[in-house]
Amino acid sequence: MTDWNAMTDENFRREVHQFFESEYPEELRHLPHRPTFAEVAHWHRKLHAKGWVAPAWPAEYGGMGLSAAKLLIFYEEQQRWGVNRGRDMGVQMVGPLIIKFGTQTQKDYWLPRILSCEDIWCQGYSEPGAGSDLANLRTRAEIDGDDFVINGQKIWTTMAHDATHIFMLVRTDPDAPKKQQGISFILAPMDQPGVEVRTIRTLAGETEFCEVFFDDARTPRANLVGELNKGWTMAKALLSFERIFIGSPSLAQNALGQLEVFARGRGAFDDPVFRDRFAQAALDVEDHAALYSRFADQLKRGETLGADVSMLKIWVTECFQRITELMIEAAGPDGGTIGPLQVGNVSVDVLASFYKARPTTIYGGSNEIQRNILSKAVLGLPG
Amino acid sequence: MKQTEDNTQDQEDLRLLRESAQTLFARAGGSDRARKLRDAGGRWGDGMITELAGAGVFGVAVPEENGGLGMGLAAAGVLAEEAGRVIAPEPVVATIGLTIGLLYRLCPDHGMLEKAIGGETVLATAWQERGAAGVAPGRDCRFAGGRLTGAKAWIAGAVGADGYLVVAEGDGGAVLAYAEAGAAGLNVEGRRQADGSALGELSFSATPAELLAEGAAVEAALAEAVSDTTALAAAELVGLSGRAFEIVLDYVKTREQFDKPIGAFQVIQHRATDLYVMQEVAHAAVREVLSSMDRAAAGPQARARLASRAKARAGAAAKKITRDAVQLHGAVGYTDEFDIGLFLNRALVLSAWLGDDTYHRRLWLDARDKEGAER
Repeated sequence: MTDWNAMTDENFRREVHQFFESEYPEELRHLPHRPTFAEVAHWHRKLHAKGWVAPAWPAEYGGMGLSAAKLLIFYEEQQRWGVNRGRDMGVQMVGPLIIKFGTQTQKDYWLPRILSCEDIWCQGYSEPGAGSDLANLRTRAEIDGDDFVINGQKIWTTMAHDATHIFMLVRTDPDAPKKQQGISFILAPMDQPGVEVRTIRTLAGETEFCEVFFDDARTPRANLVGELNKGWTMAKALLSFERIFIGSPSLAQNALGQLEVFARGRGAFDDPVFRDRFAQAALDVEDHAALYSRFADQLKRGETLGADVSMLKIWVTECFQRITELMIEAAGPDGGTIGPLQVGNVSVDVLASFYKARPTTIYGGSNEIQRNILSKAVLGLPG
Repeated sequence: MKQTEDNTQDQEDLRLLRESAQTLFARAGGSDRARKLRDAGGRWGDGMITELAGAGVFGVAVPEENGGLGMGLAAAGVLAEEAGRVIAPEPVVATIGLTIGLLYRLCPDHGMLEKAIGGETVLATAWQERGAAGVAPGRDCRFAGGRLTGAKAWIAGAVGADGYLVVAEGDGGAVLAYAEAGAAGLNVEGRRQADGSALGELSFSATPAELLAEGAAVEAALAEAVSDTTALAAAELVGLSGRAFEIVLDYVKTREQFDKPIGAFQVIQHRATDLYVMQEVAHAAVREVLSSMDRAAAGPQARARLASRAKARAGAAAKKITRDAVQLHGAVGYTDEFDIGLFLNRALVLSAWLGDDTYHRRLWLDARDKEGAER
C-alpha cells in the first residue's frame, strides 16, 4: 500500500494529475451538469480499481488515508482537470459519519458498498420549513419494534431520484427542550412503498434537486448512527473539512479562464471599461487564493479551522457570480442564448456558467448565514 | 526539515521586529501623534527618526553586505503595517523604498547610505514630474555640468528633509543626483494633504548637485525602487485599514440606540462582516505579494505587476473600509474629534500617492497581457 503522505507535495500532485490525464474519460471533462451514476459508472470502476474512490478515508477502511495537505492537492488536481466528483455523497458524508460514529457491524456492512457504489447515497437534511434554520426540521422517526417509522418531507435532496439510500436527520424526540436536541442520524433505503421522490426543475432547466416524501417508510433500528438524539452535534462535526472545500478558489478560477477565452474571442479586451472590470474580477480571484492558502496552511500544520473560514465561501461565491455576470455582458445580444456560444475554435456556455454560480451563495449555509456566523463567532457582535 | 527551521526562525525575527516597532510607536503616542503633528504643521520630530533607525527600521530590506538587516520586503512590510496602524507621520515607506532603495542599488559605498540607514540624515526622493494632465510621461528636469534645472512633484517627506535625491535627465540618459536642502536655486514648496502631511514640489534653477549614478542602471534601480515602494505603501494601507476596522468594530459594540448596541442590528453586523472579509483578503494578498517579490525568481516586470496587485487591493480596501467606518460611526464620524476621520484622510492620501486602485489595475492587466504575449 502506498504511503501517499510520505511523498513530496510535487510528486504527489504529479502522480494524481497523470492518473487523471491518462485515465479520465475525455467526454466527462468539465461536465456542466450533475451526472447520474450510469453516466459515470465506467470512470467509477477505474477509480475503484485504483483504490482512489475515498481519498480522505483512512487506509484501513479502503481509503487513501490522505492528510489534509494531500487532500487539498487531490481536490485541486481533480478540479483543474475538470474531473467530475461523481455520486460522492456516500464517500463525502456517509462514510466519514460511519467511520466516526458507527458500530463495527455498520462499518463492515456499509463502507465497502459505498466504495463500490453498490449503494448510491443522497443527503436528507433540508425541509420546507428547515432551510437556513435546519434545526427546525420536523420529519419524524418513531420506534416501532425493530424499526423506525418515518413520516415527513425532505427537500433540495440532490439526485435523490438516482439514489438507493438516504442518510437523514430526523426528529426522534419532539419534546426535547431545545430544537437542536432530539435529532438523530438514520440511514434508510429509498426503494420502498413509503418513499416518494419528485424532481424539482431548476432555473437552469435541470432536475438535480428533489423532494422526498416519507409516508410510514421504515428502516431498521440498526440503521441509527451514533447515539439517539445526538444527531445535531454529529452533523456539525462532519462539516469541518467541507467548510474550507466550499470556499476553494477552483470554481471561480475555472470561470475566469472561460471568461477570458470568451471575452478575448469577442474583442471585449479592447474596451477599457471591460478591462477594468476584468482586472477587478481576476484580482478578486487571485487575492482570494492568497487568503485560501493561509487557511490551507493552517490545515497542513494540523490545526483545526475556526469559524473565520466562512469568509472564504462568502468571497469566492460572490466573485464567481460576478465573473459569470461579466460573461453574460461580454456575450452582448447572445447573453440570453441557451447552449454553447462559439468563439474562434472554442465554445463557451455562458448561460450554464451563470446558472451554476447562482445557487453557490445559497447552498452550504447561505452567505447571509455565513455573515451571521462571522459577526457573532468571530467579530463578537452582540444579539 | 532545514527549511522549516529557517522559516520558524524567520517568523520569530519578524515577530520581534514587529513588536519593537509597535512598542516604539506606542511609546511615542500612537495615533494621537498624527493629530498633534497635523495641528502643529505636519513636521515630524527628529527624535522619532533616530529611534526608528535605532530599531533597524530603515535598513531592514537592505542586503547585509550593504550595512542592512537583509530581511527583505516581507519584513519591511511588517514595519509599514505598523506605521499605518498609528498613521505615523514619518516618511517610513518613502525612505525605505525610494531613498534607501535607490542608494543601496546605485551607490552602496557612498557614505550617504549609512547615514540614511542610521537616521542621521533624512532624504526625500524626487522622481515624478507634473504634466498637463497629472504625471508627465517623460522627464524634463535636466542635469548638466553639475547643475539641476527643472521641477519635480509629489515628493513624500520633502518639507524638512536634509537633502534630495533627484532623478533627472543627463547627457547619457537618466541621472541620480543629490541636492542639499538650501542649495542655490532650489525652491521647496509643500502642498498640504488631507492628512496634514505635505507632498513637496521642487524647482531647480542651475542648482548645484552631486552626481551619484547615471545611465541604464538608474532607470533599472528606479523601476525596482518604485515597485518596492508601491508594495510597501500597500502594506501601510493594510495596517491603516486594519486599525480603522478595529476602531469601528469597537464603536458598534458600545454605541447604543433603541436600547441596544447598534452592533446587535443585523444590517450593521453584515456591513461590519463585509469590511472584515475585505480587510482579510487585502492582508493576505499584500503579504503574499511581498513574499513573492522577495523571491529571487521574480524579475523586474513580475515585481512591478505584483506591486500593482498589492496597491490595487489595499487602496480599494482602505478607501472602502475607512469611508464605511465613518458611516457606521454616524454623525460623530464626521467630526474631527473622533479618530476615525484621521484614518479616512490618511487613506485618501496614501491611496492617491503612487497611483490609486484603478490606475494599478490598469498597470496590472497591461503587464499580464504583456507577459502573456511574451510567453
